[in-house]
Amino acid sequence: MILVREISKSFGRVRAVRGVSLELPTGQVAGLLGPNGAGKTTTIRMITGVLPPDTGSVSIAGADMGSQSIRARRQIGYLPESAPLYPEMTPLGYLDYRGKLFGLDRRALRRAAQKSLDRCRVGAMARRRIGALSKGYRQRVGLASAMLHDPPVLILDEPTNGLDPGQIRETRSLMRELAQDRTMLICSHILPEIERTCDRVIVMVAGQIRGDGTPDELISGPGAPARYTLEFRTNPSAGASFGVSRLSTVAGVASIALDDRQPDDASKGWTRLLIEGEPASGDLREALGGAAADVGLFVRELTRRRRSLEEVFVSLVDEAQQTPNEQALRGGAQA
Amino acid sequence: MRATLAIASREVGSLLRLPVGWVVIALFTFLSAVIFVNGTLIPGQPATMRYFFASASWMLIPVAPAISMRLLSEELRSGTIEVLRTAPVSDSAVVWGKYLGGVAFLGLMLAPTLALVGVLVVVGDPKPDPGPIITGYIALGLVGMLYLSIGLLASSLTSSQTLAFLGTLMFLALMMVLSSVVPGAGSVPEPLARALVSIGVQARVRDMTKGVIDTGDVAFFLAGSAWFTLLASAALSSRRWR
Repeated sequence: MILVREISKSFGRVRAVRGVSLELPTGQVAGLLGPNGAGKTTTIRMITGVLPPDTGSVSIAGADMGSQSIRARRQIGYLPESAPLYPEMTPLGYLDYRGKLFGLDRRALRRAAQKSLDRCRVGAMARRRIGALSKGYRQRVGLASAMLHDPPVLILDEPTNGLDPGQIRETRSLMRELAQDRTMLICSHILPEIERTCDRVIVMVAGQIRGDGTPDELISGPGAPARYTLEFRTNPSAGASFGVSRLSTVAGVASIALDDRQPDDASKGWTRLLIEGEPASGDLREALGGAAADVGLFVRELTRRRRSLEEVFVSLVDEAQQTPNEQALRGGAQA
Repeated sequence: MRATLAIASREVGSLLRLPVGWVVIALFTFLSAVIFVNGTLIPGQPATMRYFFASASWMLIPVAPAISMRLLSEELRSGTIEVLRTAPVSDSAVVWGKYLGGVAFLGLMLAPTLALVGVLVVVGDPKPDPGPIITGYIALGLVGMLYLSIGLLASSLTSSQTLAFLGTLMFLALMMVLSSVVPGAGSVPEPLARALVSIGVQARVRDMTKGVIDTGDVAFFLAGSAWFTLLASAALSSRRWR
């Protein structure tokens, strides 16, 4: 439904987007993540036809954004960041205007406007001046206008920006409802929101895609170091350092550290460790449990920790930022 | 075409919902009435609107930029241009819609001055000749259209309404100086002086308020308006590449 092939965009010397490709089929909800300046908004602007790519192509529901721009744009509902609207208009007047731009006939437009306003729970404000509405309501008017013409593709940039927790929950459930029969691309800084709403996550750093997959795939992806929590008790005379030294000899263990949060009964000799496995070291629970038993440690908990999407995001950003530094260092050494 | 009309109608509606629209209409109507009373309603003078039309065409120099300054600048400033650009509408349809909206507002602004014609018909003896009045309004419409298209171009180049207003005002002032003052200087070569005179607006208005419609004058205003509107469209499209 959305097909992006090797798009790039530069502004002067700044290469904002570099060879980005992605394919989003019908019914998929994808989240686009990235730090500030990663090129997310530029990518979205190229997908929606606001900006033409320097190289590459974008196709929406089979219509090429370069050569069949009007047809392609008809397939898109777009909510830009901070939902820019005309403050002097009413939500109903605004939707009427948008519907005319999308070529809806009068009767269909009236029906669609009412449906969109009701779905976004902004019907009660339909005849008030947009400038007098709260940020949350304005955001919902923007969302109502994006879905007015029932587009097969919805692109939302920070859709829950400015909403209160109740409204965020409602918007999330609306997005899930909308996603059943259309393609959605959501750009957000709020990682738990992406994790809960999207079935695919695309991480952009420095104009390139650095991670792409389901949240589970990214969290437990190849190369992702496994982490374990181990709680044990040992002879008070031996101390926790005895356990640490023995467990660190287990093959595949990269590092062991005392957890910041120690058990409540630490005074009775219980210690909680955080153990990080080497990348691709597999499941170390059996080896760790065996090693602990061999040296007489009493283990009451051994858990493999699931990384959060936030940790994955941070590691991808760090990795991407280290790569150019290493390249620069190598370049300097060769020079 | 429907999208262009939707944009035009939204533009007029917005101008009428904002104080700036009503201030412009009120100011223009008030000044028109003052000019009419002092320049036209003079006992013993022929019942003609010529003085009013000549003065009104001067008044359009600051008034037209006040209408055109927000046409695209406001969309660029507020970010609504991004939403507009994702709609299935071409840049030229957006620009023509904006232009038509400005022209429609100009019509609304000139409409109250028809009351002045009514006054002249009632008090004038002999009654005024309708021909020069009709051509006078055509002249005002054409001048306004030209000025609005120049303002639209300025508005497409900046997101600041103030800059768009001042830019248009300075351009119109420059046009006036080049067409009326410079050709009079002795050192200007004859062909250049003739070319400069030909871009003059006031001389053309003077002819039209006498009831003379020269197709060359009409073509000048229409072609000029189309030219600047097309330039505005090109300027808007070029923003995609910046």
